[in-house]
Amino acid sequence: MPKSVIHTEGLTKIYKGELGQAPVVGVESLDLDVREGEVFAFLGPNGAGKTTTIKLLTRLLFPTKGNVLIMGRPLSSRESMRRVGYLPEQPNLYGYLTGAEFLDFMARIFGLQREVRKKRIPEVLGWVGLSDHGGRAIRTYSRGMMQRLGMAQALINDPDLLILDEPMSALDPVGRKDFRDLILGLKKRGKTLFFSSHILSDAEMVADRIGILKKGRMTQTGRLDDLTGLRSGVIEVTFVPNRGKPAKSAFQKYNLDVQGRKILVRLENEEDLPALIREITRAGARLVSVIPQRQSLEDIFMAEIGR
Amino acid sequence: MRLWAVTTNTFKETIRNRILINILLFAVALILLSLVVGEWSLGHQSKVIRDFGLAAMSLFGLLIAIFIGIRLMVQEMEQRTVYLILSKPIHRWEFVIGKYLGLACTLALNVLLMSLTLWAVVLVQEGRIDFGLAPAILLIYMEIILMVAFALLFSSFTSPTLSALFTLIIFVIGHTAGFLRDFILLYPDKPFLWLFRAIYTAMPNLDNLNIKMAAVEHIPSPPHAVLFGFLYGLGYTVFVLVLTVLVFEKKDLK
Repeated sequence: MPKSVIHTEGLTKIYKGELGQAPVVGVESLDLDVREGEVFAFLGPNGAGKTTTIKLLTRLLFPTKGNVLIMGRPLSSRESMRRVGYLPEQPNLYGYLTGAEFLDFMARIFGLQREVRKKRIPEVLGWVGLSDHGGRAIRTYSRGMMQRLGMAQALINDPDLLILDEPMSALDPVGRKDFRDLILGLKKRGKTLFFSSHILSDAEMVADRIGILKKGRMTQTGRLDDLTGLRSGVIEVTFVPNRGKPAKSAFQKYNLDVQGRKILVRLENEEDLPALIREITRAGARLVSVIPQRQSLEDIFMAEIGR
Repeated sequence: MRLWAVTTNTFKETIRNRILINILLFAVALILLSLVVGEWSLGHQSKVIRDFGLAAMSLFGLLIAIFIGIRLMVQEMEQRTVYLILSKPIHRWEFVIGKYLGLACTLALNVLLMSLTLWAVVLVQEGRIDFGLAPAILLIYMEIILMVAFALLFSSFTSPTLSALFTLIIFVIGHTAGFLRDFILLYPDKPFLWLFRAIYTAMPNLDNLNIKMAAVEHIPSPPHAVLFGFLYGLGYTVFVLVLTVLVFEKKDLK
């Protein structure tokens, strides 16, 4: 079994209320286990506690209760952070620096030597598609370019674990596609990725496992294949009736939908399938498809957040 | 390495700050103006130029301490750049001290530039360079970086406006410490004397860093007084920075 890269037990963050206001629960009793080499999507509506969790994992917030281990080490160990890359949500970077200067600064905080930095900076700028913009002041960057540069700084130390907060939210469709490719490329290289998102289609395309957070509590977690693979129980059977033979009348007892020459039958019960196929054969019709309906990530998400 | 990285980045940040450049240009212009003002004061040109120049350094140093010192931390929080740094293998004290040292370097450069201007003005007026101003300038610099430490402390837990107000209050009280001490000695029976005593004890006595008058009057300051002022300022600065680090170590970066 792959090693645990992020492990939390009973992680809780309760924010003190402002003057006269009640405390606010950021995250409550969160148990999380992200394994080496997997892409984990952390989903939830706004205010669910995704950013709070990420800040707890990156030492920006102190937990009220619970434990966090990053690559087997407690958060108090700076060593664990040496192998982590982090991208905050919509980062504002230092506008007075050029892209390359900014990456050099970030690399120096990781303690990378000058020779390593010289090689590494153009490399990561290339990965995020900013090779031609490293010499420009960041204040002249667009929001999307800023997001790409933010990703570049998350990669500057060649991390084993990447923690990304809404990495695709500021990007246009091309940028999102590039980002997804980058994530998949990093996964191929054995990196572990933990990212929050409210864009379900992006998560569905790249994640191995998902966790759904609602009001600070994890309501669902599991492999994407397993969760979306759960059958809803409905099977859709499509066939084309034989010309000259009465089609619809033979299948009156089923829930029919005529689509041009094709007839679609929705079976609520899987056990009715053999009988239907026998009747299709007997009627001389041509069977086109038998598709068990599966839940989409959106179905699961909506069900979990109660919509 | 990490501390140095934050220091050099803060130096770049502050040296490229337009507000700072504007304040600096204004200060230099004002020191140059002392040549004209000196002409108006019959027979006291030398004194007026020195007084004007040193006061300008002190005042503009304070303005920089308040405007830039407070923005230094607030901007990191508002723009969320602090997240990028503190999520990396760096101690929070390295971040705080690095920010402080970066601004202290910029201020050293500013004070040097203002000093060169003042020396040039004195040279034009008196035909000689007066190195007797150096101890006063050194202690002005010490006072400025002490105020930056206070600005950093306040901005680590309160709003920019309150931070500016608190820093200004410290500056004013610090310069009235002598008056407070005299008041306590002269009126030992007054009510609320404990409050004045507490303020006198807790606040820095900035008179210890003020030898401007002697420099203006061409009276050489005894080396032990300069050394005491310097060490007093340094000790107080370290104390305020330790407090800032303690506050920042426990801070949730929401």
